[in-house]
Amino acid sequence: MNRYFLALMVIFFAASGAALADGLPPLTHNLTAIDGIVPAPALRLKNLDEEVVDLSALKGRVVVVNFWATWCPPCRREMGSLERLYQATKKSGVEVLAVNIGEDADTVFSFLGTVEPSPDFQMLFDPDAASMDGWEVRGLPTTYIVRPDGTLAYRAVGGREFDHPEIQKRVGALASN
Amino acid sequence: MKGFTTAALLALFSLNCIAAAEQHSSTDPATGAITWETRAHGVHFALTQILPEQVRAFYVNRGFTLEQIESYATSCVYMTVLRNDDAPGVIHFVSNDWMIRVAGHSHKLTSVEDWWRRMKKNGAKNSALIAFRWAQFPPEQEYRPGGDWNQGMLSVGLAPGRRFDATARWDIKGKAYEATLKGVECAE
Repeated sequence: MNRYFLALMVIFFAASGAALADGLPPLTHNLTAIDGIVPAPALRLKNLDEEVVDLSALKGRVVVVNFWATWCPPCRREMGSLERLYQATKKSGVEVLAVNIGEDADTVFSFLGTVEPSPDFQMLFDPDAASMDGWEVRGLPTTYIVRPDGTLAYRAVGGREFDHPEIQKRVGALASN
Repeated sequence: MKGFTTAALLALFSLNCIAAAEQHSSTDPATGAITWETRAHGVHFALTQILPEQVRAFYVNRGFTLEQIESYATSCVYMTVLRNDDAPGVIHFVSNDWMIRVAGHSHKLTSVEDWWRRMKKNGAKNSALIAFRWAQFPPEQEYRPGGDWNQGMLSVGLAPGRRFDATARWDIKGKAYEATLKGVECAE
């Protein structure tokens, strides 16, 4: 084993998951409507400033909850579009919570510097992946859109183009109801 | 006339079956990694080689030691994509039901839970195990039509250089479907 080569590879993968993202299918913009009245599971985690953010305190607002990690190629691909969705809808009361799974603040912070546009929404940390079962997340990324009354409206399994006009329209419609 | 119509219909049906299971492969010019992909019953299935060095680097960067990740890194790992484009319903799969056929023999995949237990026994720390679990292709999942998908790592449990057929299986309300990639090669 050439340890020098391995060290180079480690640096490469620390900086980017791009090599694992080659040849990926294009991101789509479909959201699955969730049937019935399903309350959003609990979500209470610390953000980058180590302040606790509680989803239940955001009732009255549409909340986009995105589960992700820096090493997940589709998560990286959709992050910029989440920020564009946030910028387009925040004035109408839309909040975005990106829940990072299993990583530390330094890792997330250095990744965010590579995202264009740089995310301005809340980054939460779930170091033990404790929220995954409650939210029935089986793979990353998975995203839910929560209505102002705290019930689940939509789900997306896998990466999406969140700034697509159809998604903006659906999210905006929830906020205006 | 009736015979001609039957023959024409059979030919059309055969062409349709071939088109539904058409397989493509491509090589990434930068990394040399080969991707095999097919589309069947409205579902896209793709395997992309990950070199053992890439697997080692990815997991060492997430807290594993070389010794802890070695058996996984040399077990023929693929970046796996399954996507429900326009299947006739919600697809459900358990990846442990997928089959690998090599030299006339078939075997199932080693489950993510088994790999997890082995690594934990070898002393891998919890943060590394969490990264391992969530970097794997989901052991069980459901995808709605219209583009639900995942991408994740999948070990087929073979030595570098082996060639095999991989069959992904799923069901829609209990009805079984599958897609097979033929002649997939393990990276060396």
